[in-house]
Amino acid sequence: MTKDVPPSSVSVPPKKKRWSADYIYCNLSYLTMVLPGAIWLFLFSYLPMPGIIIAFKTYRLQKPPADFWIQNRFIYSLIESPWVGLDNFRYLILPTNLNNTIMFVRNTVLYNLLFMIVGLVCTVLLAVIIYELTNRFWAKLYHSIFFLPFFISWVVVAYVVYALANHAGIINTTLASLGSPPLEIYKEKIYWPFIFLIGNLWKYTGNGSILYLAIITGIDRQLYEAAAIDGANKVQQFFHVTLPHLIPTIVLLQILAVGRIFGSDFDMFYTLPAGSALIRDVTTTIDIYVFNMLRSTSPIGYPAAVALVQSVVGFLLILITNFIVRKTRPEMALF
Amino acid sequence: MDTPMVNTKNGRDMLAISRGTNTILNIIMVILCLLVLAPFYVIIISSITSENSLTVNGYRLWPEEFSFNAYTYLFREGSIIITAYRNTIISTVAGTVLSVILILLYAYPLTRSNFRFKGFFTFFAFFTMLFGGGLVSYYMVMRQILQIQNTIWALFLPSAFSPFWVFVLRTYIKTHVPEELIEAARMDGASEWFTLIKIVMPLSVPGLATVALFSAIGIWNNFFNVLLLIDQVELYNLQYTIYSTLNNIRFLLENAFQMQGQVNLAELPSQTFRMAMAVVTIGPIILAYPFFQRYFVRGMTIGAIKG
Repeated sequence: MTKDVPPSSVSVPPKKKRWSADYIYCNLSYLTMVLPGAIWLFLFSYLPMPGIIIAFKTYRLQKPPADFWIQNRFIYSLIESPWVGLDNFRYLILPTNLNNTIMFVRNTVLYNLLFMIVGLVCTVLLAVIIYELTNRFWAKLYHSIFFLPFFISWVVVAYVVYALANHAGIINTTLASLGSPPLEIYKEKIYWPFIFLIGNLWKYTGNGSILYLAIITGIDRQLYEAAAIDGANKVQQFFHVTLPHLIPTIVLLQILAVGRIFGSDFDMFYTLPAGSALIRDVTTTIDIYVFNMLRSTSPIGYPAAVALVQSVVGFLLILITNFIVRKTRPEMALF
Repeated sequence: MDTPMVNTKNGRDMLAISRGTNTILNIIMVILCLLVLAPFYVIIISSITSENSLTVNGYRLWPEEFSFNAYTYLFREGSIIITAYRNTIISTVAGTVLSVILILLYAYPLTRSNFRFKGFFTFFAFFTMLFGGGLVSYYMVMRQILQIQNTIWALFLPSAFSPFWVFVLRTYIKTHVPEELIEAARMDGASEWFTLIKIVMPLSVPGLATVALFSAIGIWNNFFNVLLLIDQVELYNLQYTIYSTLNNIRFLLENAFQMQGQVNLAELPSQTFRMAMAVVTIGPIILAYPFFQRYFVRGMTIGAIKG
């Protein structure tokens, strides 16, 4: 229906006079349009922001006195709870907790690096292969299949893992028929990094490659022809023609990924182990820890401190990465 | 999907990979596709295994005895699943419609050069992509200030808007709706609202379809917000319903030998029934795929490239 529109060469209509009735009317329309979204952002994104001060307090839920300006227990408690400085942060590095803290931070960062690197390679590789296949019908079919897992929730994946991995699961019944002893997958840590990696690739590779495929499709074929005439084989063509076109998008997506390095796919890490406590050392990420602490009886200042570090580090990382990119290759920076 | 057409010269393109390479790649792709589809097979085959066969032989790639009892039972007596379905459908429809409206309304003014507060509202949305208040205060605000816990709102309102999709749609509108067209409509005396609804919206259908699809998947598969905000079984959506049952069976079965006498395994709803529940959870969202497919590759790729 819509084809790519060439950049406007038609002269832009003369600028309306500032503060003309039309200008004001237009802007009032725009304001009413953005208003619902702005309200949503205020309620769901900005309203929780002041709450980060819980990390510096011993939060106690108290009922506000009748003369308090707002009759809300959370707001009153937030203001009235005593400041404790960095005590909540110190709790995390107490000798008794330090190993645990290192464990979940390490899990989060390592899983993210693993997914970033392996995910990137697989995604680009898939896009290139799909593009190179000579039969378009099959290429489209493969790509549609690869995209399918994106629709499946992690809870359903948890069922699949269960059917495969429980002690009477498909893996163990198959092993038994071959005469091998069963694997206690829900009880041993060694399997889980692989399960998470495979799950992550399974769910996101097809979806991620759409973008790269679109870029590759848009590359001028004359560049490949020139390279081929110069004697470049397919691999050389990839590194000298395809990859340079993909780099800006790769950089952009990696900046965003670096900003999320302290985050994690909560649903995956929470549902796949199906609550098995024996493997928690390899399935607990920062998000999981914060959630579990929030649900436990311990003071919420502790998880709040972790969540604050998570937010601030993510924010700083994205600023720093973007700053470095802007200094070296300004056209690739996010902002 | 939009995949490139190869210009063939005398049957074969000079840039095309050799027949041998093509064959090998095809074989690899077929194997990979089968592996990608394997989880669907696993869960479907488990759900049509007879309960007896599952108890005696465990899960098998090819069960000894098939049975569709789980499904007949599901549709006859599956009251948990019916409630969960109702909640999921209501929240998905409401959330998808709402998110498309909110995102379009927010994205369009950001494309207009005469919007006085464009910079402010761009930043207002962008900042939330970089920084957040964290889970703890989000949880407290949802429960203590907005108080949407244990209401149907909790199933879709927290996912009803997304700054990321605002920027995708903004780029889409910028590149697909000619500025002259909007200006011409304005010259003819059309109001901004009229222009948005009658001109911008019809031209942005692929972009909007993409937003709708991703929003629908997100809300259909919503698990986290239910975990955080819903305590009542009547308000569970599909994902949370099947999650809580999986957790129960895994725990009970693996610890059954330690709790002799405390748990009667025969009283547990059947395992095939659970698997069938997981299968019917997938169904509808997969059906949405072909419907949106024609639009959404275009919508997604063009909108997401930096502009």
